[in-house]
Amino acid sequence: MSWPVGLVELATARWDGSEPPPVAGFVTSAFSPLAAAVAEACLTSYFGPAPAESTRGERTGIVLVSTTGDLATNVAVASAVQAGKRVPPLLFYQSNHNAVAGYIAARWGLAGPVVCTMPGGDAEAEQVTTLLIEDGDADAALVIAVNTYLDGAKEGTASLIGPATWTPRQEERQQQP
Amino acid sequence: MSSQVVVTGMGVTTAFGRGAGALLDGLAAGQSAFGQTARFDTRRCRVGVAAELPGDPKLPLELGAVVEQACAGAGLDATDRAGVNLFLALHADAGAGRDPAAGDILGGTPGEISAATGLPHPARIYTTACVAASTAIIDAATLLRSGRATRVVVAAGYLVDADSFWLFDAGRTLAADGQVRPFSAGRQGLLLGDGLAAVVLEDSEAARARGAAPLARLAGWGRAGDAYHVCQPVPDGGGLARAIERALARGGIGACDVDYLNANATGTTFADSSEAAAIRQALGEHAGLVPVSSTKSLHGHALEASALVEFVVTVLALHSGLLPVNAGFLGPDPACALDLVLDEARSRKARYALSLNAAFGGANTALLLEAA
Repeated sequence: MSWPVGLVELATARWDGSEPPPVAGFVTSAFSPLAAAVAEACLTSYFGPAPAESTRGERTGIVLVSTTGDLATNVAVASAVQAGKRVPPLLFYQSNHNAVAGYIAARWGLAGPVVCTMPGGDAEAEQVTTLLIEDGDADAALVIAVNTYLDGAKEGTASLIGPATWTPRQEERQQQP
Repeated sequence: MSSQVVVTGMGVTTAFGRGAGALLDGLAAGQSAFGQTARFDTRRCRVGVAAELPGDPKLPLELGAVVEQACAGAGLDATDRAGVNLFLALHADAGAGRDPAAGDILGGTPGEISAATGLPHPARIYTTACVAASTAIIDAATLLRSGRATRVVVAAGYLVDADSFWLFDAGRTLAADGQVRPFSAGRQGLLLGDGLAAVVLEDSEAARARGAAPLARLAGWGRAGDAYHVCQPVPDGGGLARAIERALARGGIGACDVDYLNANATGTTFADSSEAAAIRQALGEHAGLVPVSSTKSLHGHALEASALVEFVVTVLALHSGLLPVNAGFLGPDPACALDLVLDEARSRKARYALSLNAAFGGANTALLLEAA
């Protein structure tokens, strides 16, 4: 991806093919656990262990893009309704992409805006992230791209996009006496 | 600031009917549009009430119609339409879960809207829950202010469907007493409602050049996150307060200049008190002087489309000088001490109005409108 002058990719992580760790409260679908897993890897590589350093975390938003959406959750809800069965209550909030964004935001202290869009793809992520930062309500954004297919295939990346002046927090910590 | 963002056209459909006139009549009457849903079986649900259009409306057709209303109202001809950006805010299509092999969670709606209205294929679909449409408006405004576009159509639609109804019922968020009572003692939750809206946002110079009269000006906007919880707002309303403060700062006005506030309030216990705290925090000593209402108490909650329906409601309030009622009120809740518009719509000539929205994941937006 290419970014406007002044913005750089501060950290990135790609799903490594292993099963993403479960996330409490999220069931049935790999979509949200995969988003949480790539976010965790990306943010850890930049900030170290959660939470993010507060002054930067407060100015970091979350952008979640997807082409597939969480189709598995959608299917689970439809199946329950069609069968006249009670819909599992946990699906209530996980059916929405904002839920996992809220999980990541709370865990890492990211208090910038949350934006979820479709379809996914680099161009989509670039445009939405550029608008978010250009608008001025965030200095940086955690950009998550997740796709989960009904045949079990998955794709997931997360990148922290921010000002070139944001030096890596990990390096700063290591340089401290 | 020479270039501004103006609203030059809008279209809307709610359970009150099709068109801004039907919505304005419903708001003025102050009687909610809720009734027993006839669209699907609710015998296994705790609640069976929603605000629905009669019959079996189809989302692409209804959404295409409101986009057409907005474009025609703005006076956009075929050439103008070819050059616009189209941002949509949509809920996942209910049919997608029943036909997963199609692999399209939006059910083909974006392409159908484009075909029906002569607009280019949507640039993107916002799925940011209850702030999806307001986020689309803010992105559109940012794009216009950057000079990279002169005109953006933002459209959003939700029709009450069995899947989302059953989900909200399972989450025990629907009002068991069949009424939405924002900020009221004894409030029991939200109720869903059909809602579709479209607005044409335009660079003010471009609008002036083609002789289009603004309906309102988007004077400011703000957004912020709570960093608090998967689905609950932070109790002190901190994220929403920051969004309000940013909207006022962008608009270059103070809290004392706000004449009306269309609240997000869904009738949910913790969310309404969080929003009241945010309003008090952001508006300070003026919080008790600003008339507040949540029109979800009249037309219901349209999920991804709610912010755009309420944006149109707010423009209508500025135009008509009639601030819509906060219906369903039973009595004061000390946690929600605000100047609520109670009993009936209130006549007041308003210049500036805020429209607030908040969503799962702690996402908050504030839009500041100025009368044209």
